[in-house]
Amino acid sequence: MKEKCNGWVCPNCGRTVWTDHCPDCLSGIHMEDEEGIECGGVMEPVGVWVKTDGKWEIIQRCQLCGEMSTTKMSSDDNYMKIWSIASKPLASPPFPIEKTEELTRIMGGSGSIKWRKTE
Amino acid sequence: MNRENKRRKYDKKYFRAHPCTDSFICKNCGWPVVSAGAGSSHRNHCPNCLYSIHLDKVPGDRSSECHGRMEPIGVWVRKNREWAVIHRCKACGKISSNRAAADDNPMKLMALAMRPFGSPAVPQENIRSLTISMEEISKI
Repeated sequence: MKEKCNGWVCPNCGRTVWTDHCPDCLSGIHMEDEEGIECGGVMEPVGVWVKTDGKWEIIQRCQLCGEMSTTKMSSDDNYMKIWSIASKPLASPPFPIEKTEELTRIMGGSGSIKWRKTE
Repeated sequence: MNRENKRRKYDKKYFRAHPCTDSFICKNCGWPVVSAGAGSSHRNHCPNCLYSIHLDKVPGDRSSECHGRMEPIGVWVRKNREWAVIHRCKACGKISSNRAAADDNPMKLMALAMRPFGSPAVPQENIRSLTISMEEISKI
């Protein structure tokens, strides 16, 4: 992921890119995995992670070998795509969202929903 | 004669066909976790705080020497509309994903899904200017 400064063509959308991920579709190329073996699969964006300092990182997953990695979000990235990826889990919840509190209580888990009241 | 223990010890491919059914105590919150009730036979993370331990290189082989705590950092939706939790090792930074179990704390899962929306990384002003620029009608 480091020696891609001389420009490459995004395999997903065909745009010529100079950063480590395509700013339009947020995908990249998996150069080599943890052991240093070449892979070459397309990294598709899978999620967004908020670091402790408040910055966002995009979580990518290789379509070929399934390895996950993160890349820093740059300022010229497509905001709409990022919001769309971040809201994907909310759009297809595995349980009814309105019953979250009830379900947690039944399972004996911790946590509660508290909306901050506006005056 | 019971040869199961011998097989477990010396067969290097034993873990591929036999799920681990050990119970453990969560190192983060102290929750006693048993392998039953996960909806599958592979228990990976604590159902209460969703933390995991970095044990495997290949799922089930227990060969990693890191043993760091793996913090849940997000969820993503698989192709079959199933949720998976994304873990990040606090010691070495390795990222891995695992299926959400049936008895995972729904509140914690929703909190993970909502986390990006609470941070000001993309300012509201930027989004407003974006929508204004998108709504502009060019007059001919």
